[in-house]
Amino acid sequence: MDHFPTNWGRPRNDAFDAYGTYPIAQRPYNGLKDAFAEGVQHTQQPIVTGTSVLAIKYKDGVMMAADNLASYGSLARFKDVQRLHPVGTNTVVGAGGDMSDFQYIQSLLDGLMIEEFTEQDGHSLGPAEIHEYLSQVMYGRRSQINPLWNALLVGGFKEGKRFLAYVDLLGTTYSASTLATGYGAYIAQPLLRKAVEGNEDKLTEEEAMQILEANLKVLYYRDARSLNKFQIAKITAAGVSITESKSMDTTWSFAEGIRGYGSQTQ
Amino acid sequence: MPDMVSIGQPQQRQFNPYSENGGTILAIAGANFSVIAGDTRQSEGYNIQTRYAPKVFRLTDKAVLAVNGFAADGSMFVKKVKQRLEWYRHAHAKDMPLRAIARLIQTMLYSRRFFPYYVYNILGGIEEDGSGAVYSFDPVGSYERESCRAAGAAQSLVQPFLDNQIYFKNQRPPPGTSNPTHLPLHEVLSLVIDSFTSATERHIEVGDGLEIFVVLAKGSTTQGLENFANVQEMTQTREGERMFNIRRNLKRD
Amino acid sequence: MSIMQYNGGSVIAMVGKDCVAIASDLRLGNQALGISSNFQKIFSVTDRIYLGLPGLATDVTTLRELFRYRVNMYTIKEEREIQPETFAHLVSSTLYEHRFGPYFIEPVMAGLSKTPSGSFKPFIAATDLIGCLNFAKDFVVAGTASEKLYGVAEGLWESDLEPEDLFETISQTMLNAVDRDAYSGWGVVVHVITKDKVVTRTLKGRMD
Repeated sequence: MDHFPTNWGRPRNDAFDAYGTYPIAQRPYNGLKDAFAEGVQHTQQPIVTGTSVLAIKYKDGVMMAADNLASYGSLARFKDVQRLHPVGTNTVVGAGGDMSDFQYIQSLLDGLMIEEFTEQDGHSLGPAEIHEYLSQVMYGRRSQINPLWNALLVGGFKEGKRFLAYVDLLGTTYSASTLATGYGAYIAQPLLRKAVEGNEDKLTEEEAMQILEANLKVLYYRDARSLNKFQIAKITAAGVSITESKSMDTTWSFAEGIRGYGSQTQ
Repeated sequence: MPDMVSIGQPQQRQFNPYSENGGTILAIAGANFSVIAGDTRQSEGYNIQTRYAPKVFRLTDKAVLAVNGFAADGSMFVKKVKQRLEWYRHAHAKDMPLRAIARLIQTMLYSRRFFPYYVYNILGGIEEDGSGAVYSFDPVGSYERESCRAAGAAQSLVQPFLDNQIYFKNQRPPPGTSNPTHLPLHEVLSLVIDSFTSATERHIEVGDGLEIFVVLAKGSTTQGLENFANVQEMTQTREGERMFNIRRNLKRD
Repeated sequence: MSIMQYNGGSVIAMVGKDCVAIASDLRLGNQALGISSNFQKIFSVTDRIYLGLPGLATDVTTLRELFRYRVNMYTIKEEREIQPETFAHLVSSTLYEHRFGPYFIEPVMAGLSKTPSGSFKPFIAATDLIGCLNFAKDFVVAGTASEKLYGVAEGLWESDLEPEDLFETISQTMLNAVDRDAYSGWGVVVHVITKDKVVTRTLKGRMD
């Protein structure tokens, strides 16, 4: 018997949250403990999450896009979060999944870049090296059954070469001229492939930007965990630049005509 | 509407450290050559992650390793094998012989017996006696030398076809003759290409591209290899075994 | 393990030039234990239609009798022989009658259908256990070795094979596929149907 009334919690009614989307608060446990309980507390679930990240190769380099939302279950909790993180002068890392794990990854990368800078050996880490490092970190953590719950895109441009690759919580990696994480993999990826495959060396900056914005709009219409406020990063020979947060015009008048989509009650 | 019962314990979703990434690999040994091939599609469920992710890797000038299963384990395993081969080079000033690489792979796989690399390996190359060889492994290191093996998503489609066309299973030779023990290179390459086009036709996880490695024994001719399109030589040392790479397209649907 | 694999067995049908062929293995098993090496799964429906019934052995017997009854009723009522296309739909609707408690059989049909000009056109079809029809132009497969049959057939089959070449192709496909399947094998029977005769051959296969 736990004698601390504050730990008893309130009775739960499953009708309010049948799918358990709202994370259950972890209360200290004062009951009997297994002697080895401490040693096996690992497995987790994402708590504050970011949704899709999109990226494409184009004529001058790589362009990546993500919205500014960090959700807490179905709650739009933080609406000004930057999910595109510049690393050094040639690389951007974009993250979906658990945002606290992403912040930990950012601190790892910042530490790594400082360490490398301190060497002063004339070398600097480019996108390929950053991606390799992240792969090792992600695979290492999955092998300890204690994953960093993210899907990451690494985009960059160094020594005249574009780089774009993916790594996730399992340590799975791959590379392609268009990449998308989360819902983007289902909704945006087919559209991105149609627009980009075979045109990587022809697409201008304006066209690339237009493709990504169109896809963010589609995602905003269909992904309930997305936000109409986003940033776009471009990595070219000139280095990294990430836009200020911006939004697009969307149309919702059609919703009234669709039962179950608009505000009708019957 | 679910029953209105209160949950005693917060439910835990167990993290699954494995995934399957589709694709198929295949290797055939000839008398003095070895052919190792794999498709280049990487998928998870119904999602195609990329149309070009190599599954076949050059280890030395006489050894090629094909890996199939969980892609993250696959890349890590290949990385570690390559590292061990480099250490061997530093210690012995020569490349590790094929049969030694095979035993190395078995011990590396078995060392992870209780948290296995979820990977099927096929090692192909040239033995020290100059013969073409194929070694196939299960995820925990059981292995044997054979002259032909398919593995991966379309193994069950390809292997019986190879039994028939390579081993001449269920085929009686004409009276007074015998079935050949080894096929010439151009016939082997045709069979590899046919196997993958067939697998692509009937298996959704196979397609996009085909990457074939050919290893020729020391001193052997190119055996008609020059007649194939997109052949690229990738031999690194001279006067030893020679290695070639052939890339072809497969259907992308 | 699924009830579909309980007794084992596989069937394949192929189209040739003015001919069709259908083949099955002869094994009857009780899971991994072999029971019989002479269990017929292919039955003649008319002189020019053959029906293969791989799946649960008890349903093989039931469906064979059911189709015999229904084809006889058709012949009596219509006063003509049933055509393969019609028979395929008979099979389909019979299975769909049991949509929510199906027979565990995936039928394969092969036959020659009469054209208005009086010649014969090759016809093959297969359905799943609830009667979803698949009319293929090349070959159809079913049973525990279906994946292997697909692989080998896709590699060996070509269009417009003469009856003797079609026999060789379907035999090699069947033998090599069932040799890689633990639940099929123990001999093979092949029927090659041409406009004026049906040639039936029983092949020896591996007994392991």
